[in-house]
Amino acid sequence: MKDAFPYLLLPTFYAARNRARRREAGDGLRAAIFGGVGLFVMAAIFGVVFWLTWQLLDYEELGEYLVRLGLSWLFLTFLSFVAFSAVVTSLSTYFLSEDLRLVLAAPVPPTRLFYSRFARTVGQSSWMVVVFMAPVLLGIGTVRCAGWGYYAAIVATLVPFVLIPCAFGALVTLALVNIFPARRARDILMLMGLLFAIALVVLLRFIRPERLLSVQSLPDVTAFFATLQSPITPLFPSFWAGETLFAALQGHVDALHLGALWSTALAFVVVARLAYGRLYFAGWSKAQEARKARFTRLAGVETLARLVPARPATRVILVKDLKVFLRDTTQWSQLLLLMALVLVYLYNFHILDLDHIPYMSGLVKNAYAFVNLAMASFVLAAVAVRFVFPAVSVEGAAFWIVRTAPVSMGVFLWSKFWTGLLPVLFLAEGLTIVSNQFLGVDPFLKVVSAAAVFFMTFALVGLAAGMGAQFPRFAAENVTQVAGSYGGLSFMILAVLFILVEIGLLAWPSSIYLWHQFQGLPLQGRHYVQMTIAFTAALGVCAATFWLSMRRGIRALEDLG
Amino acid sequence: MILVENLVKRYGKFTAVDGVSLEVPAGEIHGFLGPNGAGKTTTIRMIAGLLKPTSGRIVIAGHDLAREAETAKGALGFIPDRPFIYEKLTAGEFLRFHAGLYGLDGDAVEKRVVELLGLFELGRWEGELVESFSHGMKQRLVMCAAFLHRPRGVLVDEPMVGLDPRGARLIKDVFRQMAKNGVAILMSTHTLEVAEEMCDRISIILGGKIIARGTVDDLRAAAGGAGGGDQELTSVFLRLTGGSGFQEIPDAL
Repeated sequence: MKDAFPYLLLPTFYAARNRARRREAGDGLRAAIFGGVGLFVMAAIFGVVFWLTWQLLDYEELGEYLVRLGLSWLFLTFLSFVAFSAVVTSLSTYFLSEDLRLVLAAPVPPTRLFYSRFARTVGQSSWMVVVFMAPVLLGIGTVRCAGWGYYAAIVATLVPFVLIPCAFGALVTLALVNIFPARRARDILMLMGLLFAIALVVLLRFIRPERLLSVQSLPDVTAFFATLQSPITPLFPSFWAGETLFAALQGHVDALHLGALWSTALAFVVVARLAYGRLYFAGWSKAQEARKARFTRLAGVETLARLVPARPATRVILVKDLKVFLRDTTQWSQLLLLMALVLVYLYNFHILDLDHIPYMSGLVKNAYAFVNLAMASFVLAAVAVRFVFPAVSVEGAAFWIVRTAPVSMGVFLWSKFWTGLLPVLFLAEGLTIVSNQFLGVDPFLKVVSAAAVFFMTFALVGLAAGMGAQFPRFAAENVTQVAGSYGGLSFMILAVLFILVEIGLLAWPSSIYLWHQFQGLPLQGRHYVQMTIAFTAALGVCAATFWLSMRRGIRALEDLG
Repeated sequence: MILVENLVKRYGKFTAVDGVSLEVPAGEIHGFLGPNGAGKTTTIRMIAGLLKPTSGRIVIAGHDLAREAETAKGALGFIPDRPFIYEKLTAGEFLRFHAGLYGLDGDAVEKRVVELLGLFELGRWEGELVESFSHGMKQRLVMCAAFLHRPRGVLVDEPMVGLDPRGARLIKDVFRQMAKNGVAILMSTHTLEVAEEMCDRISIILGGKIIARGTVDDLRAAAGGAGGGDQELTSVFLRLTGGSGFQEIPDAL
């Protein structure tokens, strides 16, 4: 066993086992939430695929054709996804992992190292695909009453199907690190992948696939699918996988495509092993060489900071946070993603055609203003958990610098609050005002929404900064880990509750006003009293959330250690 | 300058620091020795304001750390054993940030930054990101930061870790000069040669309690003096802390 490559995977296994044994506060809740969401998504995928396949049963030959085409496209999508994921994962597993120094210093044959790291690469880059594929393939199999042969074919197909892109990805990585330093290559890849994902999301939105669901555009569906066929797909493993499973669905065995899958997979793995045998050490050494880090000076940040009327400590914390944030590629790549999502969000409101709803368009529009307010607030909460909540945790092991300095924890946390508030406020107000403009809601609601978002942003950013200080994760490896921690989840739950309470407190008085306006009736004195009470309560909840969170956060930081 | 009275730190039932008292007057280099897990770093971290004591009192330059934390911290420079700093800042940016935390601003900071980077031989690295620095360079940068605001007391946890002989020599000279200028230095170290060479007085901590204190000669006398007046500090240290058991090593090897 000790000579076999799985022995090198034992530390990963032990770490996972020890983590499971030594549960931290909130682990159960986190597992329940993530597990629940995961199961729900899988069930939803199963349901949708089941329904679609069921509908296609009515179309006999066309239905068969679409299932076959669908499988091929599904596999092609995942082929590209796994290949890209494997390139990024291989960079970590083969070249950037902390434990590599220990393993490479030990008398471990290169082949064992290659296979152990390859197993990790395959696991890390394809588990999500397998989790997604399982309900899809089960859904199809259930509707078609497939026999055991189909399910055996799923396993026999998926294994070589993920091995091919993983070996390909590992080979691409090997070539890359022999040309560029490993960390620089990772940054470039992350950015490329993100831009690709953003382009895909924006493109999908602008194509407006929902048009295909309307009755008038039925002829378009055939044309839409006709464009999906491409002459090169039969040369891809995705086509072989689709054909193998399609044959299994009909009770046949497609030995040709299954054989092509397995022989290609084995060939790729052997080629990758040989290439790593020859070039790995050179690439590894290159990855270790000290490089001169390239970065932007960001002198403008300091010039801007000088204009801020604040004490030196607040100003330098602001400058430091901005520079650290902007020089971290993982951070600003998240910003790009956020910008794309905002664009899609606003575009959705732009194309929303509420005027086609007879008689009720005015009322629906105004009701939509509150849906918009709720959605903008959820976006705000999501942005806060990703960018403001980790603000204290990102100090990490360097937090001693601030803690030993003559700076109170209040000054420190308020600095984090203001740094987070301004961009989030700008985003929240922008989203609300522009989308309400697109919707064409009543001017009264435009003012209420803009004012509500202003105060809610203070509350949510305060809640995020305060809870981030109460539940810091200084040892976290990245910001995503902090946002997904027990504290991050607790913040999201509280934020959602807060938003619901606020929407309730704002919608009630607004509905009184709008109903009277709709009916052409004048508002009476008691209506004004009710509206004032509700709006004041909404403001009070904002103020209490903001102030209490910050106070508790400061106290938690003062009590650290 | 640095005054500690009956300092206690408990973690549940475990007492890491048990009634430690010490005083480092201005101009003294005070060594803080003890075996691993004796409570050195915990004590140092409490004095630096990183850990809250269970009980006891810490006074820096006449200011109670619990009551006037900011004023007390403003008089102190802290050099930790592991130099974790913001990797995405340049050396110059880090020092300016540090200056700002201590309320320093303006042209005087620029002059001081250049001066200290030059002293610690980091001048040509001022514009480089900290992430490209070696351990020793980071350690020297942390020292620049600790001395930037001209502290009246300095706390050092393992000063020589990661430094090359040239760097170590530089640090020793800097500490001596600072002490001459009236700065109180409390230095925790495992390197007994450094303690013997540099410290005016030494406190030895074991099991969270101070078990001996004095000059190197005082400690030799306290250890029994069986080895004569010239026995090395290592022997004195082992005798005082009960650290032996070397007989088993040859068998184990």
